[in-house]
Amino acid sequence: MTTPTVSASGLSLRYGGTRALDDVSLRLTPGVTGLLGPNGAGKTTLLRVLATAVPPDRGAFTVLGHDPSTSRGRQEVRRSLGYLPQTPGFHPDFTAFEFVDYVAILKELTDRTARHREVRRVLEGVDLGDVRGRRIKKLSGGMRQRVALAAALVGDPGFLVLDEPTVGLDPEQRMRFRELIAQAGEGRTVLLSTHQTEDVAMLCHRVVVMAGGQVRFEGTPAELTARAAGRVWSSTERDPGAKAGWRTGTGSFRNVGDPPAGADLLEPTLEDGYLLTLDGAGAEVAA
Amino acid sequence: MSTWHVAEEDLRAYAQGELTAPLLWSADTHLIACAECRAGLAEVSDPVALDEGWERLDAELDAPRPGLLESLLMRLGIADHIARLLAATPVLRRSWLASVVFLLLTTVLAVRSTDSPTLFLALAPLLPLAGVALSYGPALDPTYEMAVVAPMHGFRLLMIRTVAVLVAGLGLNGLATLALPGYGLRALAWLLPALALTMTGLALTARLGPVLAPSLVGGSWVALLLITHAQQTSAGDPLAPFTAAGQGVAAAVAALAAGLLFLLRDRFDLFNGSAE
Repeated sequence: MTTPTVSASGLSLRYGGTRALDDVSLRLTPGVTGLLGPNGAGKTTLLRVLATAVPPDRGAFTVLGHDPSTSRGRQEVRRSLGYLPQTPGFHPDFTAFEFVDYVAILKELTDRTARHREVRRVLEGVDLGDVRGRRIKKLSGGMRQRVALAAALVGDPGFLVLDEPTVGLDPEQRMRFRELIAQAGEGRTVLLSTHQTEDVAMLCHRVVVMAGGQVRFEGTPAELTARAAGRVWSSTERDPGAKAGWRTGTGSFRNVGDPPAGADLLEPTLEDGYLLTLDGAGAEVAA
Repeated sequence: MSTWHVAEEDLRAYAQGELTAPLLWSADTHLIACAECRAGLAEVSDPVALDEGWERLDAELDAPRPGLLESLLMRLGIADHIARLLAATPVLRRSWLASVVFLLLTTVLAVRSTDSPTLFLALAPLLPLAGVALSYGPALDPTYEMAVVAPMHGFRLLMIRTVAVLVAGLGLNGLATLALPGYGLRALAWLLPALALTMTGLALTARLGPVLAPSLVGGSWVALLLITHAQQTSAGDPLAPFTAAGQGVAAAVAALAAGLLFLLRDRFDLFNGSAE
């Protein structure tokens, strides 16, 4: 069995009166793991906990064998960590090179020559070598997101945390970004939080579904899809007995839930499995 | 054409950067014109050292030209990586410094027209407090979330920025003080309260957050001045915080707050913001 990069057990965290994480346990191995869930599911909180930004109220976890509950352990975890937050901020007057250089300094790369070599490497890795001298405020949204990914990749971290990196990108930029994430997942552990089941279907070898601060599913995308086997059917009108149903491009309705006898069953997709796993936990299910 | 060539041992010394003037100047001039000696130099050069040299040159040529602030800091002897960290400090930007200068100039003019330094002494401690408060935290530092999970300890980054902001803030206050020569040392009575307010604001930030803590400290300072002003018996007397006893209290508060800040330093290594 592959040694897990991240091993978490019983993680719980309350913010005020809200239970943001409720007894979350998971194991992450090398490759890209998708973290799916509706808004407010606790995805960002889980990422912040695993990235050592916020300590859990209860539970424990290790990253590459380091325990972040101590100051020394936390620093060791951070040396192995690349983090792309949900809304990465930039100093707008910095160029792409200067910004990644700034993050490299925060990652303790103080030798100027070695640091600049590393900055060039990661910028070229995300295809921004040619615009490295351009100010960030003059870059497109997709380019800025790649600058943030380059900053996360500085120092070749073994554990990469990406919080909804494809939000706000157009389809072409999203495809390009997926390619970069796939490359980043070669030889390292990537935890990718996303709303998009397409991201998971295309990139991930494992998937975790969260809702209400709890893990509702952990397994392979195929296993999540298999949850919907025999539970997706087509009809000419929306089936009131379905947990979710929507009109497709052909004009017929696609329903998920418990099909009536004699229903016209369809091949399930990852999205069907996801919706059934949420089972009323997310607003999207009732759509 | 000259038949002189650089001796092999001199070429070796040249390759290792150990050849000294004036022979170095002769070798430099000669190598430009003599292909034979350049070939000899290539043979005696260490390829690893040569590659490293090219790499350093490449890095220098590729590196962006640092901005005005970074260049200035490096000229003052600050390491390039510290200068880059300071260049990312929001309040060290020209707009903030210009605002502080404008505020101080206005205050100095007001002091000169009212013939009392109280307004200046009341305002000057608030500027470093505000500067330090605005240099760190999720609301004001766009890279806060990335910085907090970086291996560099959050307290170290905070201290680097605090020292820079304090030096800039206290320096500007000091210049403004020079514009009030008539008050002698009395015009410096802002210094210890400034340190006390800044240290207390930082120490409380660890518990109350980067917005509430400095607001509370600043508000308390203004309230204290208003109360002491209301209790003032003679209009010519300095307010209590600017008397010798008040200065002693400010020094003690600054020292205590610095100690508390050090004890709470690990709190700056964690995210201090709202949840999802």
